[in-house]
Amino acid sequence: MATYLLHRLAGTIPVLLLISLLVFLLIHAAPGDPTLLLLGEETNAAEVAKAKERWGLDQPLYIQYAKFIRSAAVGDFGKSFKYAEPVIGVIKTRLPATIELAVFAIIIATLLAIPLGVWAGSKPNSWIDNLGTTFGLFGISMPSFWLAIMLILLLAGVLNLLPTSGRSTYGIAGPEQSGFYILDSVMQKNWSAVWDALTHIFLPALALGVNMLGILMRVTRSSILEVMNEDYIQTARAKGLREKNVVWRHVTSNALIPVITVVGLELGTLLSGSIIVETVFAWPGSGSLLITALNARDYPLVTGIVMTYTLAFVAINLIIDGLYAVVDPRIRY
Amino acid sequence: MRIAKDYLVIFGALALLLCNGVESGAQVRVSIGVTETIETHNPYGDSASLLYGIFSEVTGPFCTYSYAKGDFEGRLAERWKVENPTTWIFYLSKNYKFNDGTTVTADDVVHSLMNRVINDPQSKQKASVAPSIVKAEAVDKFTVKITTDKPTAPLLSFLCDRLIVTSKAAFDKYGRDVADREHMMGGGPYQLKELIPGQRLVLQKRPDHPDAKKNPRAPDEVVYRIMREPEQRVTALLNDEIQIAQFVPPHMRQRIENNPKLRIAPIDSVEIMFLAMQPKPPFDKKEVRQAVCQAINRDQIISTLLEGFASRLDGPLGPGQYGYDPNLKPKLNYDPEKAKKLLAQAGYPNGVDVELQTPVGRYTLDKQLSEAMIPMMNAAGFRAKLLTPEWATLWANVQKGTIPFYYIGRGSVQDPSAALHQYFHSGETPRIGYSNPKLDELLDKEQQEFDAKKRRQYLSQAMSILTEDAPACFMWRHKLLWGLNSRVEYKPLPDARIYAIEMAVKK
Repeated sequence: MATYLLHRLAGTIPVLLLISLLVFLLIHAAPGDPTLLLLGEETNAAEVAKAKERWGLDQPLYIQYAKFIRSAAVGDFGKSFKYAEPVIGVIKTRLPATIELAVFAIIIATLLAIPLGVWAGSKPNSWIDNLGTTFGLFGISMPSFWLAIMLILLLAGVLNLLPTSGRSTYGIAGPEQSGFYILDSVMQKNWSAVWDALTHIFLPALALGVNMLGILMRVTRSSILEVMNEDYIQTARAKGLREKNVVWRHVTSNALIPVITVVGLELGTLLSGSIIVETVFAWPGSGSLLITALNARDYPLVTGIVMTYTLAFVAINLIIDGLYAVVDPRIRY
Repeated sequence: MRIAKDYLVIFGALALLLCNGVESGAQVRVSIGVTETIETHNPYGDSASLLYGIFSEVTGPFCTYSYAKGDFEGRLAERWKVENPTTWIFYLSKNYKFNDGTTVTADDVVHSLMNRVINDPQSKQKASVAPSIVKAEAVDKFTVKITTDKPTAPLLSFLCDRLIVTSKAAFDKYGRDVADREHMMGGGPYQLKELIPGQRLVLQKRPDHPDAKKNPRAPDEVVYRIMREPEQRVTALLNDEIQIAQFVPPHMRQRIENNPKLRIAPIDSVEIMFLAMQPKPPFDKKEVRQAVCQAINRDQIISTLLEGFASRLDGPLGPGQYGYDPNLKPKLNYDPEKAKKLLAQAGYPNGVDVELQTPVGRYTLDKQLSEAMIPMMNAAGFRAKLLTPEWATLWANVQKGTIPFYYIGRGSVQDPSAALHQYFHSGETPRIGYSNPKLDELLDKEQQEFDAKKRRQYLSQAMSILTEDAPACFMWRHKLLWGLNSRVEYKPLPDARIYAIEMAVKK
C-alpha cells in the first residue's frame, strides 16, 4: 500500500507541472492587463510601468514561469496583485468556506441520492423508480446558476424561509477560529449561530449538490439493479432473509463501490461548480475569489487557486483509491 | 415504504426548523445590498467608487462635492485657497478626532498623501487621487500645503470624496498591515467594525462625532453586503433582509413599487455613457461620426428599453455636473435622413461596414441598448455588427486603443476635466486617439484657470468642439434606481457613493 501511494504521489508531479504550465500560459494569453484593470480609470503610463516592474510583468514569460515554479516548489505562489498579500494567505482565508459548502452539498446529495437510488433500483419500473429517474435527470440537466436564482426566488423570496445570500447574519457568530462557521459555532456552543449558519448554507449547498444528487442517484440505481441479479442475492433470499435486510445489508454494501468512485470524481465538479454558486450567493469562498482574481487578471492568485484545486483533486482521488480497499476486501495494493 | 416514512419525518422536521426564519438584531441597523466587492483591509489598496465612499465616511471625508450647490464643500479640510497656480493651502477643522480620541492633524494628511497614496507600492490610488501632486507638507498643526507639478484647477475633484486620511501614529506604531487590519483609525462619523472580504463590511456610528450629533437618526450600524445579482438584492429588500438595494434594474422596479413598505429612489448618475469612435476609416471622416450620432434615436431607446430611467445627453455633461452648459451647440439630434446624406458626403453612398463593441452586464442593459442601436444605424445606411467581448478584454483593448468603435461609460464625472483629457486630449491616452489642437488648447487652459467663470467658458467651448467634431456620441446618463425601505429616509447620490450619516431611520 505504501509503495503504491508513493508511486501515485510521484505520478502527481508531472500532472501538477503540466497544469501549472497550462494555467500560467492561458492566463497570460487571456486578453486584459492587470495593471490597467487594477490601477483605476485615471491611471497613466508611468504608473502602469511601475506596477509592471513591481509585479515582474516586465520580464519575459519563461523567466516569470521559472520564478513561479521555483517559489511554488516551496509552497509559495507569490503575492496577489489585487490584495498585495501572499497568495497562500488569501486562499487560506477563503478555502474553509468552500470546503464547508462542498461538504454540505455532498451531505445533501448523498443523503438523498443513495436511499432514492436504492429504493428505485430495488423496485424497478415501479412508480418510485420512474419518479426517482425523472428526479435524477432533472438534477443532472439543470444548470446550477439557474437553479440558484430559482431557489432564491422561491425559498428566500416567495416563501421567505431562508436568507438570500452570505454566510452568516452579522452579529450572531462568535469569533472565528477555524474558518468553518458551523464547526466554530458548535465548539463555542453558540446554537443560534449554528442555526444561522445552517440557514445560510442550505440554499447554496442545495444548488451545488443537486447535480451530484442526480448523478449519484442514477449510478446507485444502476449498481443496485446489477447486484440484485447476482447469485448470492438469490441465495440470501433463499435463506429466508427479509427483503429489507437483503437490500440494505447485501445489495447496498456491494453496490457502493461505483458510487464511491463517482463521489470522488464529483468532488472535483463540486469545486468547479462552487465558482458559480459562490458568486450567485455571495459566498466568500475560493470560487468567488477565483472570479474576482480572473476579472482583475491577478495572475498569481488565479494560478494559486487553480493549483490548490488541482492538489485537492489529486488528494481526493488518492483517498478514494484507498477507500476501495476498505469497502471491497478483494482490492489490495 | 418504511424508508419513505423515515425520510418524510426527517424532511418534515427540517422544513419545520427552516420555517423558524432568521433572527435579526435589536440595533438600529441598516443593511445595504451593494454590487461592488469589498476585498481589502487596505483603504488605499483599491480604486473603486464604493470603497472611496465607505472609507471617506470612516475617515472624513477630506472635502465633498455638493450636487445641490454644484460645487465643493469643506469637511475635514474646512476651507482652502490657491496660493499660486501650483500651490494649494488647506485649512483643517480642529474638531475631527480619530476613534482613539487623538486629533486629526496636518501630519496625518501629509502622511496619508505621501506615504500611503503616492509612495506606497501597494497603493492603487495615485492616479485617481493625486495625479499631479508632488509634495505635501504641514505648515502648522492644522494647515497643509500641497504642491503640484503643473497648474491643476480641478485638484479638488481628485481630493474630495477620495482622499482617505488615516492616522500616522497608528501607522508608525503598528506598521501598515496591522494598522489597517486591527487599528483602522479615522476621523469620520463611523468606524470600521468588521470586514469579511467578499462578504460584508460593517460600520459603527461614533455617537460623539460632531456629524453624528447633528443627525442622531443616522443608523447605529451599517452593514454593506455584497450582492452581485439584481434578483438577490430585490428579493432581500422585499424580505427586509436589507433596507437599501443599490442599482435596481428598471424591469425589476415594479416588484418594489408594488410593496407598500418599499419605494424606488431614482437619481441621475454622473456616469456619462457614450459611443467612442477612433479617427480611423471610416470614422476618420467627421461626417461618418456625425452620421452615427444622428442615426440613433436616443429618446426612443430611453423611453422604451430604459423605461424613461435615463437622461439624454446633448454634449458630454448633464445638469448638476460642473461646467454643464444647457445652451451648448450644436446638437446632433436624431435624423436618419440627414445621417444618410452625411454618409454619402463622406464617400459611402452605398453604406459602410462598422463593428460596435459593447460590454455585457457592466452597465445598465448595455448589451440590449447596443442591440437596439444596430438596426437604427443600419436604417441610416451603415452595415453594423455588434461584438460583445468579456469586460476585461474590452477594457484592456480600449486602454490600448485597439477598438475603433465602442459603447462605454465614464464614471465620477462631477468635474469633467479628467474625463475630457483622458478621452479627447491629444496624447493623453490612446483610448480614442483623437487629436484636435484647438481642443487641446482649451482643455489645457481650463485645467490651469482658477477663475471659475473663465474655466466654465473654456469647458463650454471645448465641449462645443466635441459635439461638432463628434469623436464620440454622447448618449445618456442612466437614472440609478435605488430600492429603499420606507423606514429609511435617504437621498442617493449621483456618484453612487453612500453616506450613512445622511440617512434617517425610523425606529
